[in-house]
Amino acid sequence: MSNQSTTPSATTGIVLNIQRYCSHDGPGIRTNVFLKGCSLRCKWCGNPESIRVKPELSYDPKKCKGRECSLCLKDPFPKGAFYFTEGEEGPVKVNWDLTSGCDEALCSLCPTGALEMYGKTMTVDEVLAEVEKDASIYRSSGGGITLSGGECMLQPDFSAALLKGAHERGMNTAVETACNVPWANIEKVLPHVDTMLHDHKLTIPERHKKWTGVGNERILANFKKAYETFPNTEFIARTPLIPGVNADEEHIRAVLAFIRPHKNVIDYELLPYHRFGLGKYEYLGKVYELDDYKTPSDEVVKHLQAIIDEAFGRTGQRAPAAK
Amino acid sequence: MNTNKKRIAIMVGAGFVPGMNAVIKGAALAAGQLGWEVVGIRDGFEGLLHPKHYPEGGLLPLTPQLIENLDPSTGSVLGQSSRVDPFHVRQINADEMVEEVDQSDELLAKLKAEKIDALISVVGGQGLTILYKLHGKGLNAVCIPRAIEGDVAATLVSFGFNSALSFTIDMLDKARQAAQAARKIAVVEVLGAQAGWLALQAGIAAGADAVLIPEIPCDLQKVAARLKEKMTTRRSYGLVVVAEGAKLVDNAKAGTDKPSTLKASLSPLASGDNSSHVIQRSGHAAETVASRLQLLIAEETFPLVVGLWARGGNPTAVDRQLGLAYGAGAVQALNTGQNGVMVAFVPPAIKFVPLAEAINKVRTVPPDNEFLKTAQSLGICLGN
Repeated sequence: MSNQSTTPSATTGIVLNIQRYCSHDGPGIRTNVFLKGCSLRCKWCGNPESIRVKPELSYDPKKCKGRECSLCLKDPFPKGAFYFTEGEEGPVKVNWDLTSGCDEALCSLCPTGALEMYGKTMTVDEVLAEVEKDASIYRSSGGGITLSGGECMLQPDFSAALLKGAHERGMNTAVETACNVPWANIEKVLPHVDTMLHDHKLTIPERHKKWTGVGNERILANFKKAYETFPNTEFIARTPLIPGVNADEEHIRAVLAFIRPHKNVIDYELLPYHRFGLGKYEYLGKVYELDDYKTPSDEVVKHLQAIIDEAFGRTGQRAPAAK
Repeated sequence: MNTNKKRIAIMVGAGFVPGMNAVIKGAALAAGQLGWEVVGIRDGFEGLLHPKHYPEGGLLPLTPQLIENLDPSTGSVLGQSSRVDPFHVRQINADEMVEEVDQSDELLAKLKAEKIDALISVVGGQGLTILYKLHGKGLNAVCIPRAIEGDVAATLVSFGFNSALSFTIDMLDKARQAAQAARKIAVVEVLGAQAGWLALQAGIAAGADAVLIPEIPCDLQKVAARLKEKMTTRRSYGLVVVAEGAKLVDNAKAGTDKPSTLKASLSPLASGDNSSHVIQRSGHAAETVASRLQLLIAEETFPLVVGLWARGGNPTAVDRQLGLAYGAGAVQALNTGQNGVMVAFVPPAIKFVPLAEAINKVRTVPPDNEFLKTAQSLGICLGN
């Protein structure tokens, strides 16, 4: 996946997005670097553009000029990938099965920007140059860089080089991971991590498989090994809270039972499910499977948060806002 | 007769359509006449890509004995797969990670290893694109369109349409009787995400008061006015047929005459007509029309959904014949050296259309269609 070259700073990875001024994924004000590729297929995923490893096409029909442009129906665009239905006006339609030949150079030909690529190859230096723009903010707020995804551990060499470089520049480092990767990947990255935010999505293996595509046995084993192997790293457990899936006491108590014996797991955060990612499914030509699901009520979130607060010996704290 | 003996394979894409076994039977019988060997691939491409999942073998020899006793009313003898896209196969790899892999080369290699000379694929709209891509990579392929809604372009009639139409008419008759007994207005959603053929033809046959189809953006004020005209103390019921992809002219919301699909109106952040993000669930169109009509007329409305019920059941006599003809037509295409084509029925002839011309097209109801004229002359409101 990431290309390990002779010098770590020249190592390349596929970056989806670099988002500045974030405050929910680690201490202080941070820059989140989203990497492409995920090893789970959570049905509620709010970042569908991060799932595939390779860069992929995104199409915003609202920006398309329609027949008056028609540039994407001609060479060098892939034949049949873009088309109009006879007698219909409006934006061009996309046959997503024929768009695999699209790349950044082709998308740049679209005059309105309706066609774009999600993800591009970047070097460690290029990413860190962008992240360093807010170095003064990190110093004053205690913030730094957070690697997210997708699954940042799927690009272990790139992630390790990025975090090592960030440490060398005096930044705080964090990763957001589900840990559904071989232990070797985690072992490469974690020595350079100050805080690991990790998802406990579902407790029961069969249900985990139903909602994410795989069981959670390896994930839980990785968590436990990480807690024990890296005692100086801070761990924050998280659950994306989805009514009907995991927004129940049983799950929260099972996660607490798993994490509380480990003193370096310093918190457990709830991320109430939101539907902000819905529009992105359209841009990718995908259908969102969880359309009938609602965000959890304040009442449910408060109740579950109270259980967590009690377990951590706190009282009267507010539930964290949606990620 | 071409004496060049071939070994051909048949696969069936996602979605059951009445008459599937007739297609398989037609192809196997026609190939048998030429002395060709025919095998069926189980569950889309699964039987070929993952033969270990099938203790009895991923390929099913379509022998004369098997074909002779093939029951036309059951599901496809070859089974089906929810995905027929070898370019994006989701799997869990050796590291327990979910990934999508391109198995198209593996598929072509396995077809070659099995000494398959050509493939007959019974597929819908997306399947046609996949076969077009595979053909581009060297596969000898002939496609048979599977379009229960009658929306695949270049062919006038697909097998399965007649069965779905007959069933839908039967359901509309029942809905009308229920509405009559309850003195209410039944709003019945039928198949037709992109084209209104089923809704229009079934609505005419069942004597509907209004038929709403995707091709004609509908003004519910006009539908309500028509229902008010038709409903009297002696006829205090109504029947409205709604294709699941029907569109409304939503003056109140948009301030323009721009239509929006009923489904998209219920999909937050979807951009309407051209949105790829359309929720693939039935029932929304009937509910929307029933509830909005309720605001415009005094009589009670109630939604019903025929939806997926129309995809099951026995094929009608027409579809048995069509299925057999399509199957035999695909073999005829191969025997005459055709490749990369879709079999099309343009009465009275069976034709072969290049796949490049068959993809990206939807057969919709044109404005001058005879069924539309018939509906109008019968006083059926089309919402325009």
